[in-house]
Amino acid sequence: MNQQEGYADDVVKGFITWSMVWGLVAVLVGVLISFQIAFPQLNLPPYLTYGRLRPIHTNAGIFGWGIGSFMAFFYYITQRLTRTGIWSPGLARVQLWLFNLAIALAAVTLALGMNRSKEYAELEWPVASLVVVVWVIFAVNIVMTIVKRREEQMYISLWYILATLVGVAVLYLVNNASIPVSLTKSYSAYAGANDANVQWWYGHNAVAMVLTTPPLAIFYYFLPKATGVPIYSHRMGVIAFWSLIFMYLWTGAHHLLWAPVPDWVQTLAMAFSVMLIAPSWAAVFNGYFSMNGQWHQMRENYLVKFLIFGITFYGAQTLQGPSQSIRTFSAFIHFTDWVPGHVHMGTLGWVSLVLFAAIYYTLPRIYGTEIYSIRLANIHFWLVLTGQLMFSISMWIAGVQQAAMLNATNPDGSLHYSFMETMIEIYPYWHIRALGGVVYLAGLCVFLYNIWKTVAGAKTQGAAQPA
Amino acid sequence: MDLASIYYLGVTILLFLVFAAIVARTYSKKHKASGEEPKYRMMDDDHPKENGKGGRDVRRK
Repeated sequence: MNQQEGYADDVVKGFITWSMVWGLVAVLVGVLISFQIAFPQLNLPPYLTYGRLRPIHTNAGIFGWGIGSFMAFFYYITQRLTRTGIWSPGLARVQLWLFNLAIALAAVTLALGMNRSKEYAELEWPVASLVVVVWVIFAVNIVMTIVKRREEQMYISLWYILATLVGVAVLYLVNNASIPVSLTKSYSAYAGANDANVQWWYGHNAVAMVLTTPPLAIFYYFLPKATGVPIYSHRMGVIAFWSLIFMYLWTGAHHLLWAPVPDWVQTLAMAFSVMLIAPSWAAVFNGYFSMNGQWHQMRENYLVKFLIFGITFYGAQTLQGPSQSIRTFSAFIHFTDWVPGHVHMGTLGWVSLVLFAAIYYTLPRIYGTEIYSIRLANIHFWLVLTGQLMFSISMWIAGVQQAAMLNATNPDGSLHYSFMETMIEIYPYWHIRALGGVVYLAGLCVFLYNIWKTVAGAKTQGAAQPA
Repeated sequence: MDLASIYYLGVTILLFLVFAAIVARTYSKKHKASGEEPKYRMMDDDHPKENGKGGRDVRRK
């Protein structure tokens, strides 16, 4: 099996390779900071402290691993669904190197303490400007490829891809509007509560347009490819897509419940967050119904295991998220470790499982070979699943315990526990989380070894073939 | 109700109508077959269409 002729897949290889590098960095730093929380003496100021490393972890994970992979699969999927090559492979190569430059600059500047203090929008204006350039190149290339497509109708994945391109552009430009005062420092263009409102409009819709629509595009493409059976209902996919797009952009203010933003804004965000269960679960059901008569593939096909567990975690995530957006529940768990448990179910359970499946499916085809070891892929699956569950479950329990302690009052109404007392009580859960991170890292290493052996084997085969 | 509120209400109703139209069109009997067609066509996308064989969507009647 040779690389499919007519499609420009070299750039896909490049993005997958580099996204795996950034993914490894993200998990390594993640494990380090989980140990720093459990063992504070591991913080080595100024560079190796939790405060400096945490944004490097999130930026490497969400933007390096996540967006790097999405760029790879958007190019892979778009070419096939439009039955035409990339509009400009040269521009895509430029984009790959600018993307890596942006992520590397992000890591360096964040380590040096240059930070806008906005979660998921930490990068100072020169790096943020480079991100904009990368995104414009990417968007133009994908849109032009779709414009010159040789298929009249657009499969659902293409709709999600287009939404991502437009959504990220709007969110990033609005929330990064700032006034530079030097090369390394800028101030937000918004002030006070307005700034917070814009930030969380961006912050939660980064979840929408980076951690929801791209993995859904990938899921809708690779589930049928992996099972050999079409998706259950394309029309249900289309309706779910438009529902999601109509609703998602209103939800950001659920991060600001009980905060000094207008009450109606909070209520609106809460209502739309709950309504989002419908389109989210439409995608989940579409995945499950596509497995009708095919559930045996969960035993026989390792790719299906990754994809179905991935969509299951998406389902769980999209029930937990709206629950957290309700005022009373939010008041209970906000500012506790419940939140990182929730976030990591989405990033490790939903996004990464789908990306692992996509990489396992794609790379052997591009390199014209078979996967090195299905057994190792299965070991990888169970390790990352175990690591992620250890992380999330320990944090949910820690969050509930901490919330209960923070809410406990004496008969006279004073607080029963101090904040420090709640911290001391959840140390055991931080140890479990760090251990979960190590298990996840072990799984990731198995994955990288399997991929490395697959690619190395393909190159050996290629060299051995007579000219 | 001030002018801004009327504007917001109008936009809300307009967006709802657009969404309702999308649902109605997607689930109309007329578009049932064409609405489901992409899910079959994507199963066989291993090769791009050749440039010499006409323009967009050469396989469709």
